[in-house]
Amino acid sequence: MNKRNTFTLFAILVFTNVFANDTTLIKVKGWYVPDYTKVQFAGNIGLLSVGFGYQFLNNHLYSELLYGYVPASISKTEVIHTITVKNTFPILNKEFKTITLSPITGFTASFETGNNSFLKLPDKYPSGYYSPNAFHFTIFIGAKVHKNFINQKIMRGVDLYFELGSVDTYIWYTVLSKEVKINQIFSSAIGINLYF
Amino acid sequence: MYKLHKFNKIIISFNILLLFSSCEKIFEFSPYEANVNTEFKNTTNKNLQLINDIQLNSDTFSFAFVTDNHYHYDNLRSVIDDINKKDDILFVIFGGDIADQALLKEYEIFYNIMKNLNKPYLTVIGNHDYNSNGEVVYKQMFGEYNYSFEFNHNKFVIFDDVVWESNKNPDFDWLSTQLTDNALFKQVFVVAHIPPFTDQFDSDMEQAYRLLMQENNVQLSIHGHVHSYSFGKVYNDSVNYLTVPWLKKPTYCIINVFDKAFDIELVAL
Repeated sequence: MNKRNTFTLFAILVFTNVFANDTTLIKVKGWYVPDYTKVQFAGNIGLLSVGFGYQFLNNHLYSELLYGYVPASISKTEVIHTITVKNTFPILNKEFKTITLSPITGFTASFETGNNSFLKLPDKYPSGYYSPNAFHFTIFIGAKVHKNFINQKIMRGVDLYFELGSVDTYIWYTVLSKEVKINQIFSSAIGINLYF
Repeated sequence: MYKLHKFNKIIISFNILLLFSSCEKIFEFSPYEANVNTEFKNTTNKNLQLINDIQLNSDTFSFAFVTDNHYHYDNLRSVIDDINKKDDILFVIFGGDIADQALLKEYEIFYNIMKNLNKPYLTVIGNHDYNSNGEVVYKQMFGEYNYSFEFNHNKFVIFDDVVWESNKNPDFDWLSTQLTDNALFKQVFVVAHIPPFTDQFDSDMEQAYRLLMQENNVQLSIHGHVHSYSFGKVYNDSVNYLTVPWLKKPTYCIINVFDKAFDIELVAL
């Protein structure tokens, strides 16, 4: 089986799995309706980032699309807009009475607009002069607390989470160089997920 | 789901907590931020003051030229440690490409390593330093892109000649003005990241630069950018051009300045 067929089969399997979950767990809403909405503070994807997310793979994967914003007063340059896809994996779920505590890990892929950054090298440069510099990945570890609401009419539940993360470039430099210390490259983020 | 041993859990949690409590910055909002720490600001002026304070009773002195760090931080540190051991080197000029993607973090790592230098240093902006918001970071952390200073009756002109990334032509009028008083000095040294005979200069710019050097008795024009060593009279005139290797290997140059002459040492650690 060639790569493309394998991918198609995988996509179908994932999709059916997701669809199956949705039809059994959430009876009324369509598969495209997000499971939760999100607000995050910091984490190299914006001062504040907002968006929506889906629970996949029997709640082993939380995938989100986010828009992040850094005002000029904070960035000390132009406004920074960031579009991010974030994936969070709960490592395990530990229940304490009405709350669920989960250590989490994951990664984000971000695209930043403007500010002398680009996805395709501008024509003025010879080919290969620079790699695209508008994309960054971050990785993180952290913890999440989940609580289901008793009255589920408006919201089903809430997550609060805390993360420590770093950016691909920074991690690469720490690996390359003993002069770049790990406490220089990690920073934290906090956030909230509200489940529909 | 797999189960972690309780002991491992404690160790992991403890490490995460330790990492959190030791983070230099608790929150970061974007790699493209230009929010330079107050302590790191205005570096050029602070160092110009330190150079101005050096007392010297001799015509002879040396300065080091280090360039094109990109992300070779360990080699930068080795070079700094070596320069620290040489008392005859009075100051250091860094020839640009301080950073690779020109992220604030890269500038901060550079700044922190340069703190280990036991003498003053100055910088010229390189083409990489203009990427992303690097232009803004550079201005805040170091200062003006073009500036000049005098040391021991010699003139040093630091010139931003980045073309593509800066979206502007080099300010040859400013350079010309700075060089008009050349007769007052024993020697004149010009520092710019990009050599006039390479990629970013078209033939008009190259000609303009060459003539300014020649007509104003510039003894030496010092550059980085090309990542290799070269020294000589490129245009068959009186002007010497020096290009210094990048920090992919721990290399730099020492320029020994005499009464009305100089020589170059290439140091490879």
